Amino acid sequence: MILLEPHNYIIQTTLAEKAIKPSSLDVQFVDFDGVRFHLSTPDRKTVLLLSMNIRCWPELVRYGVNDILKREYGSLLRPEPESDYNVSVEIDLEQLPPEGEEREAFFYSLAMMKRNALAAPFELSFQAQKELEAAGSGQGDLMALHYRDEEVIYVQASSDRVTVIFSTMFREETDRVYGKVFLQEFVDARRLPTIQSAPQVLYTTREPPLEIRHLPGLNDTEDVGYVTFVLFPRHFANQATANSTITHIQLFRDYLHYHIKCSKAYMHSRMRHRVSEFQKVLNRAKTEQAVGDRKTASGRTMSIR
Amino acid sequence: MSVLAPIICDNGTGFSKVGYAGNSDPSFVFPTAIATRGPAAQPSRTGPALPSKPGHLASKRGVEDLDFFIGDEALANAQTPGYGVNYPIRHGQIENWDYMERFWEQTIFKYLRAEPEDHYFLLTEPPLNPPENREQTAEIFFESFNIKGLYIAVQAVLALAASWSSNRVTDRTLTGTVIDSGDGVTHVIPCAEGYVIGSAIKHIPIAGRDITQFVLNLMRERGEMANVPPEDQLKVAGKVKEQYSYVCQDIVKEFRKYDQEPYKYFARYEGEHTVTGRKYEIDVGYERFLAPEIFFNPEIYSSDFLTPLPEIVDGVIQQSPIDVRRGLYKNIVLSGGSTMFQHFGNRLKRDLKQIVDRRLDASMAASGSQLRSSGVEVDVISHKRQRYAVWFGGSLMASLPEFYSFCHTKAQYDEIGPSICRRYQIFGSAT
Repeated sequence: MILLEPHNYIIQTTLAEKAIKPSSLDVQFVDFDGVRFHLSTPDRKTVLLLSMNIRCWPELVRYGVNDILKREYGSLLRPEPESDYNVSVEIDLEQLPPEGEEREAFFYSLAMMKRNALAAPFELSFQAQKELEAAGSGQGDLMALHYRDEEVIYVQASSDRVTVIFSTMFREETDRVYGKVFLQEFVDARRLPTIQSAPQVLYTTREPPLEIRHLPGLNDTEDVGYVTFVLFPRHFANQATANSTITHIQLFRDYLHYHIKCSKAYMHSRMRHRVSEFQKVLNRAKTEQAVGDRKTASGRTMSIR
Repeated sequence: MSVLAPIICDNGTGFSKVGYAGNSDPSFVFPTAIATRGPAAQPSRTGPALPSKPGHLASKRGVEDLDFFIGDEALANAQTPGYGVNYPIRHGQIENWDYMERFWEQTIFKYLRAEPEDHYFLLTEPPLNPPENREQTAEIFFESFNIKGLYIAVQAVLALAASWSSNRVTDRTLTGTVIDSGDGVTHVIPCAEGYVIGSAIKHIPIAGRDITQFVLNLMRERGEMANVPPEDQLKVAGKVKEQYSYVCQDIVKEFRKYDQEPYKYFARYEGEHTVTGRKYEIDVGYERFLAPEIFFNPEIYSSDFLTPLPEIVDGVIQQSPIDVRRGLYKNIVLSGGSTMFQHFGNRLKRDLKQIVDRRLDASMAASGSQLRSSGVEVDVISHKRQRYAVWFGGSLMASLPEFYSFCHTKAQYDEIGPSICRRYQIFGSAT
């Protein structure tokens, strides 16, 4: 598994299970970036309520998340979300689309709820870019998304591109080193002829990029790094490309951390292998103890078992 | 913002149960299997793949170490050329740390979709797990995954905690005997105040797999399996075991009942051929009560293991220190899928009570009727959450507010090192 999947497995599997055999249910679970879900059957066994809590909800509302969710889920949305959650959808198991591909697609779209919600600022900026391009010049608003405690995504549209900046924070020294190697690789990999069309990636430590330098309260300690993606119009030329761009870019942080962890696991397996090799060498070097005949004082042989 | 729910990971020999604390069932139950590139038997002599060219660019290094599947996907890919299936846990203990580390990696990132840095983890271990294994586990979780905090609990203790959900349990004690019967082996484990009495543990080589095999044998002998395609037979036997079996109180009476009114007691199982879709029907008869009977009369199934379960339980308790025996008799807890048979608890309780009473009578007679015992209370507790009792116990524990104070945190780990995880504070004990 190289890329993380954008949809939530628990939602997908639970819904598929309940569609076949409805039963009462009350589960809470999470997704990346501190998103919390609650799936329950408050009134009847056949009506499932799926609620989601995202910490940067007020910001998302400003970027028009409600319109996107309405477009995706339409009448499923409950006007009043469950308390403690930001958004709730109601799924009536008796009115599911017919079995087969259609139903799978329906479940998949529900499992993509987090992705759809976080897509708001990106869709808005893609739109803004088109308008700016028509106008000829100018800059869109800088949209900040405080999606984790210490990390932020900034999105800004210009007349010829959309800039996405991630501030990343490594609490662990080792992680920072791995992270640096990885991010450097993003920059290097673009030189390969096969991936020339990939978005441009810039990476700086401590120093915030020019786009956000004017913001107050930026962290400029050693642990912080900034990754800038420059998306050109070809990356969101049609709806399908735009969608996949959004899907991939919003999982960037989790992708990075997943791979840092995978690399560590790989290193550990090399280390374990090396240790066992060394142990073999040590065992070979052991001298065999020569057991000569041991005689007692009276000249009889003593045997040791 | 409140702390995100802790993750409970119960990795057993056969199946892994994983999910978030506070729920009543695990989110995922899948086989503890990993399908990797290369032959299944042993990792190659050269160890994990080395980069073919120097440099750290992924295009040069390759990504073989990410090319694997876990759980159900692993078994589905078992036949794919180039892949081999491995089971990193043997007899409850982790054998292959490389595979286990990658297994956890994918459990967390693909299935649970959690950022491990934001979560506390509760893991389980079998009784008598060497402390070195615990250290290794802690190393992986703290150093690879940077988790916030870790608690490693003994499975038997969690099973005891799970029994608190039964309404028959009035005092929440961690003293009791746990009968844990899964697919491969059955353990009888005495616990006193949350500590396992290691010297008294007994294992019984009869468990779920054997019951299924026994059902299959019985049905073959009766000729019922003639209609069933050979590749489905084991599955059908498993279904019969799960859906129709129960424990009877008297085997002779039960046989007579079946012979007198076969139409009332014989059940009918309907199946469908997985490939051709042809329907078939079979009669389910004596195996309904004979299947779980192999716990109580093992001689009907095996010829090398002949001690009935109640006798083993009695033996285990008699080997434990004398001052906890009453507590152990009073609180016998069932856990695992193979203890789910109807009336299993009642039968065990009755048989055990007989053994205990007989001994009391004998000692009374030996003392010349001078000393009269006040009697020993025997109770077997079955509850609704028996199947995933260990996981449920973990979920219960981890949703207590005290849980976080029992965990070892990342900061403590960094300060002291992996040896900190050799010891964990028992839940509910005074600090």
